[in-house]
Amino acid sequence: MAATNPGNGGLPLSLDGLSVAYGERPAVQSLSLSVQPGEIYGLLGSNGAGKTSTIKAIVGLVRPVAGEIRVFGLDALRDSLSVKARIGYVPETSMLYEALTPREFLEFVSSVRRLDGTTATRRLSSYAEAFRLEPELDEPIATLSNGTRQKVLIIAALLHAPPLLVLDEPLNSLDPRSVRIMKEVLVRYVGGGGRGVLFSTHTMEVAEQLCHRVGILDRGVLRGEGTLAALRGRVAAGDASLEEIFLKLTEEEGGVRAAVDSIGDPSA
Amino acid sequence: MTWRETLRVSRVAFSELSLQAVFAFRQGNVLPAAWSKPLVERARGRVLQSKLVISIVLALLALGAGAIIHQRALNPEILPAVPNGLFDSAVLTGLLSLDIALLWWTGVQVIPTLISSGVLTVLEPLPIDSRTLHRVAGVLYLRLFDLPAATILVLTPVSVGLAMGVPAGLAALPGTFVAVTFALALSLLTGRFFLRRVQGSRGGGGRAVVRWAYLVLWLVPAFAMFAFITAAPAFFRALSDLATQGPSTAGNLLSAAFPFSFALLPAIASGGAASTAILSPTAELALGLALAAYIALAVWSVVWLAGSVRSLLFLPVQRSVDLAPSSAPLRSTGSARAVLTKDLRIASRTPGYAFLILLPILDAGALGLLTYATPAQNPIASSLALGAVTSAALLATFFGPAFFAIEVIAYSYGRSLPLSNRSVVLGKVALIAMMYLIGSALILGFTLLRFFDPLTFGAFILAELPAVIAAAFLELGLLFRWARRRGLAITNLYAGAWFAVLVAIPGLFVAGLPPLLFDLVQPSGLGLAILVMGAAAVAELAVATPVAFGRGAS
Repeated sequence: MAATNPGNGGLPLSLDGLSVAYGERPAVQSLSLSVQPGEIYGLLGSNGAGKTSTIKAIVGLVRPVAGEIRVFGLDALRDSLSVKARIGYVPETSMLYEALTPREFLEFVSSVRRLDGTTATRRLSSYAEAFRLEPELDEPIATLSNGTRQKVLIIAALLHAPPLLVLDEPLNSLDPRSVRIMKEVLVRYVGGGGRGVLFSTHTMEVAEQLCHRVGILDRGVLRGEGTLAALRGRVAAGDASLEEIFLKLTEEEGGVRAAVDSIGDPSA
Repeated sequence: MTWRETLRVSRVAFSELSLQAVFAFRQGNVLPAAWSKPLVERARGRVLQSKLVISIVLALLALGAGAIIHQRALNPEILPAVPNGLFDSAVLTGLLSLDIALLWWTGVQVIPTLISSGVLTVLEPLPIDSRTLHRVAGVLYLRLFDLPAATILVLTPVSVGLAMGVPAGLAALPGTFVAVTFALALSLLTGRFFLRRVQGSRGGGGRAVVRWAYLVLWLVPAFAMFAFITAAPAFFRALSDLATQGPSTAGNLLSAAFPFSFALLPAIASGGAASTAILSPTAELALGLALAAYIALAVWSVVWLAGSVRSLLFLPVQRSVDLAPSSAPLRSTGSARAVLTKDLRIASRTPGYAFLILLPILDAGALGLLTYATPAQNPIASSLALGAVTSAALLATFFGPAFFAIEVIAYSYGRSLPLSNRSVVLGKVALIAMMYLIGSALILGFTLLRFFDPLTFGAFILAELPAVIAAAFLELGLLFRWARRRGLAITNLYAGAWFAVLVAIPGLFVAGLPPLLFDLVQPSGLGLAILVMGAAAVAELAVATPVAFGRGAS
């Protein structure tokens, strides 16, 4: 897979003291992390932990109130177009031009990304075949299921073979076959070295299987970061699962027990 | 569930509908960074404002019709050949037709939002009985029209009553109810057609014709007022002829036609014998039968509406399943051209967007027709043609901010792409220039048919083109600067982005100045006037270009 030239050296992604707020409400507070070349970095967190806000700031949908975002050494605020050209983004919700067909949408995306028609057609053909999207390439997106829309967004993110993939819950709504394909694609993607993937999820099993390192975000603050082994060491639990580590680091282990107890018997 | 509970559920659902209508979160719009008021309250306020504006227009129409009838009663020398009753009926026919047109226009605009908001899909899985869901859907549908419909239902009889007496006012009630019912049914019918034949449609040929025909149909109500003003003199002339010749087949047919049949009732009720000048005894029977048929149709419409609104909100968008997928390759173009192509493709399946593109073109076509209908010797004809070109320029530039708002309203994904402001501006300006040129070409075509002066009109069109581009540059450039300074994208025109409306004013000034100069200089010579106009337009372009592409704009 020929990648877009990362250029400028530097890490695929580094965040330094990133803060995002909506009015008075802080969503992310002084977040610092990095994605190394050849790495899949998992951003874990409960609902509302700040994962999507972090990702939106990286891709330019939300302006941070403080901090720095660098993609291959480029400042995401100052060189926003160059940074966007190096990123493939899958949003959490299906943000698509509903009146277009997938083929029309991908033609627009490949034009904006200055991809030549032959390469774009070849890549679309192989991805559409892999995800079994061909029968729906010419239907208006308004008529497609959530899973099919997600496939369109994934293909749009991969079409220009970007050096950095920023994926916000990318496996949402996908069928098991497509999930498996996506996982394999990501592993191969970073296998060549140089590229990086930032992957947000709240599914611990997926993070355990895929991610080289994870960062645990809780109420906008990074509670822990590292490989699974390093995190196990940090919570002093040799064989703990990622779920157990997550609950320990977010200090929710006791909270979960109390919550279950407060529910009592669900059938009562 | 009781009616009280149904109304409580409907209130919640309507809040969600208002929120989606204004902020379009379900379509992917990003949460605005900071708001002074809660979003739902703000959305409800905006929806109420929109309804108030439509209601004020409807109120002015009703009171205006009453005032015309009253004036005619005081001054019989106005159109003396048309008897009083017939005159009053003609005015009421116009009023009822405009009421239907405006209410229908409101419906076709908001129904796609009602469907895409998905408010009922949230309620459907809850243990709420089917009857209540039907009621909630019905209440939601009625709330789209409540204030405008109430204005028609109250003010039409009141206005007629004040002008023609209480019996006439009461006699106006059936026509008013039937008009409102028909407008609501037409709105639902066109909404259903949109889902079945437009939104999910693809392919060319007949399907493309149906798609664009619907988009033109969307414009028809908006043109009703213009059409009535244009057609009114001819209608009164025809009435005068009918009154002179007495009862006739044409008179009988007119009496049985909707809404004239209902408009005759107040005249008959107020005892105007002249109203029946075109009616023979057999025609009175035909009138009675026609009224009964229309009332029956209205009753059936109410029943149909009650049963169909809920199904409309769940009707899946229908696909063109019989078409095989194509193997067309992806054609990569420049970013600006990609924006233009995307916009045209979206417009072909989105009435709200197509409306902005088609309105200036159809307006130019209508004014071109008017020019064609004006006698060639009449000096007004050439002024009319030049005025039509100016009108095309002004309308094309007026919608510039709306094109920008649509770019960012629900399609946040576009902002994650490496798409420069420069490319977006160029794509939008190309669309605006294209609209102006197509509209102007239509006018040029009509003027060529009527009187051959292609050089003057061609030169006028080309001299105005830089001003149209300058106006578009100015509007879009100012909007991008504003969005950059605020650190957020403009969501849409109703979401508090008054700046988007305000920039249209300098845009209109820029587009309007060269034709104004032409008008001032024309007495000194046509050639000189076009030269001055062209020079002013080029100067405007030179000033506006840095606003769009200079420092701070992209």
